[in-house]
Amino acid sequence: MVLALFAVAVLATALLATTDMFTRAPIAEAQRKALHQALMQVLPEHANDPQQDMITVQRDGADLKVYPARDRHGRLLALAWEEIAPDGYSGSIRILMAVEPDGVLHAVRITDHRETPGLGDGIVHNQAWIDAFAGKDLQHTKWAVKKDGGDFDQFTGATITPRAVVRAVHAGLIFFAENREALLNGLRRQPVTDKEQMQ
Amino acid sequence: MNRSDIVADGLWNNNTIFVQLLGMCPLLGVTTSAENGFWMGAATLLVLLGSNLVVSLVRGVIPAHVRIPAYITIIAAFVTVVDMLMNAWMHQMYLVLGLFIPLIVVNCAIMGRAEAFASKNSPLDSCIDALSVGAGFTFALVLLGAVRELLGQGEVFGLEVFGESYPDMLMFILPPGAFIALGFILAAINALNQRRAARAQQTEHAVKAAATEVS
Repeated sequence: MVLALFAVAVLATALLATTDMFTRAPIAEAQRKALHQALMQVLPEHANDPQQDMITVQRDGADLKVYPARDRHGRLLALAWEEIAPDGYSGSIRILMAVEPDGVLHAVRITDHRETPGLGDGIVHNQAWIDAFAGKDLQHTKWAVKKDGGDFDQFTGATITPRAVVRAVHAGLIFFAENREALLNGLRRQPVTDKEQMQ
Repeated sequence: MNRSDIVADGLWNNNTIFVQLLGMCPLLGVTTSAENGFWMGAATLLVLLGSNLVVSLVRGVIPAHVRIPAYITIIAAFVTVVDMLMNAWMHQMYLVLGLFIPLIVVNCAIMGRAEAFASKNSPLDSCIDALSVGAGFTFALVLLGAVRELLGQGEVFGLEVFGESYPDMLMFILPPGAFIALGFILAAINALNQRRAARAQQTEHAVKAAATEVS
């Protein structure tokens, strides 16, 4: 009896280990591609590979991955990271935001959410709404939905979702402002490529 | 049991969704569109095929009183395999179906087939059973997904059917729409089956009457 269960467990483990061996690389590749597509949407046109140049910084005791976009000369154009709004209507909303070195938002995109179709999911389907984040910064923007006296539209029948996104992006900008020097310093030390050395 | 009966049972006569009303969680959870329904059904079919085959192969070996943990382990292993495969090669759909893929492990229809069929039949018959039941399940998910997508967004498989001016009936995309659409589909299927039964009875009577006249 014990032997039979043991045999089943061994077989199942062998099956899982084999599958893991074959799928590990493709899964990493698929995740890299998905992130690449999302980064392409938020970052300005760039010449580097933001995922390769990624740096890790500490934020509230956890690692935060920051993806820089640079032009041909290695100059920093913008940096992107993921912000999580924990207070969506149903669960967390994952947001990718890109900020230019002077603290102005370049773009914002939702990468994952479980909001109500047709109501809260306007944060994904309402292009004008999400595009309204571009060009906003801490100084000239009231970071709240219009219902709360801010600059951002809410949707008919859905206030909680836009409110959560606005709050999270705002928190991201504050984080950037407070750590601007450290972030920019960390990104300044850019490995010099062979081509530039020759020049 | 003969093989055409196995197929007919799995596809229609004993359809997991329409007749047994099992596996309601994935049915109601993911059928916001026909495409989601199709891939959820396909994932379930694959798990069912694997678990039925293995359960049938080990049916003489596993002692009766530990069979349930053994089956669960086998099913869970195949669910994890499907989960990894989808993550690797169907990443977009994997993100859409999300939690519902690991939840296949608690789909009672799969455990039901292991216990009621695969543990008592040959590997070949068990595979035929898995394919039929899986196809019947997928058919149900696609049907419900198509109805909800059509009424909710005027599309089927992402293709515009009713045109731009169609006022999207949001309710059919939301959870209550799943129950309402399923209710109407079940009513229609019951009506269809009753009519078929009545007609079969009529012919039976006619045959009997003819037989008495002849004698």
